[in-house]
Amino acid sequence: MKTLRKIRSFFHDDWCSECTDKMEVVRKQLYMLPMTVGHYVSHQNASYYIKNLIKVEKKKDIPVGYYACGIHWYRCLKCGHQAVKLSIFLPVRDQEKQEEVFFFEKGEMDAFLLEDRH
Amino acid sequence: MSEKKIKKINILYLLGYLIIPIVICAICMGISYFYFPKGNGAVILLLIPPALSVLWWSFGGTVLFKQKTKKFERELEEKGFSRNHTFYGRGKTVIIDSQKGQVGFVFFWNPFDAYLVDASRIEKCWVDDGKCGVGFMEGSSRVSFLFILDGIKIRVDTFTSNQRFRMDSNYILTGISKADMVVKTIEEARKKAKRQ
Repeated sequence: MKTLRKIRSFFHDDWCSECTDKMEVVRKQLYMLPMTVGHYVSHQNASYYIKNLIKVEKKKDIPVGYYACGIHWYRCLKCGHQAVKLSIFLPVRDQEKQEEVFFFEKGEMDAFLLEDRH
Repeated sequence: MSEKKIKKINILYLLGYLIIPIVICAICMGISYFYFPKGNGAVILLLIPPALSVLWWSFGGTVLFKQKTKKFERELEEKGFSRNHTFYGRGKTVIIDSQKGQVGFVFFWNPFDAYLVDASRIEKCWVDDGKCGVGFMEGSSRVSFLFILDGIKIRVDTFTSNQRFRMDSNYILTGISKADMVVKTIEEARKKAKRQ
């Protein structure tokens, strides 16, 4: 049963990778990425996002043709494990073109998110 | 700044592009028929001109268009034109300076005349997502932005395909986003030009 639940956890972003329990969302925030359509470059390093993310309140605040990044900060209530999910997408009118999803689970983004909260 | 009327197609260049290679091939065939019916001369006259013609039709125009576009970009930079947005469309290049309110154009079928015009000359600018069909057949095979300049409609494609894609497909969304971005920059340039 535990193995089956482990496999199922691959398909659930909000399941803890340690104990496979459902995690709670600590914080959600939308950011703008300074990259325009047709010039997207994939970055897997958290330092790129820490340096370049620009906080916005709504999708409408992002200029036309620029990429957006939605951040979900998760915490497992059972084991205390934390994870940050970055969904990079291109807002196009009332739709979204999904580009990539990254998970940072070693606390790479924690300082940025804590600093950004205040 | 160019005040002359925009010409998308230079008829002489278009005809020359298509007909001159055919004429050269016909002359070579005639020479071969009358003077070199056999041997190396005939081979050269009958094979090389058609091969060169095919190369010219396949690549010649594109190379010339790219060279002229680069030359135009260099000229604009020398004039202090800040390229806020450059869109390399199929057969058309659009370069926008929204601070000065100017727009530059180079056309594939008129590469010898590059135009730099005041953005206030653009009467209208919009996006065509090419949406057609109903129900599960609804989709698009072309997304473009269009504008009317001096009464001439100019269409620049941001996405084209021989297949129809759903309106929420990545190809269509990327095409719409690119077109929206150019239209927004042109609108900014138009506003700036009207204020000046």
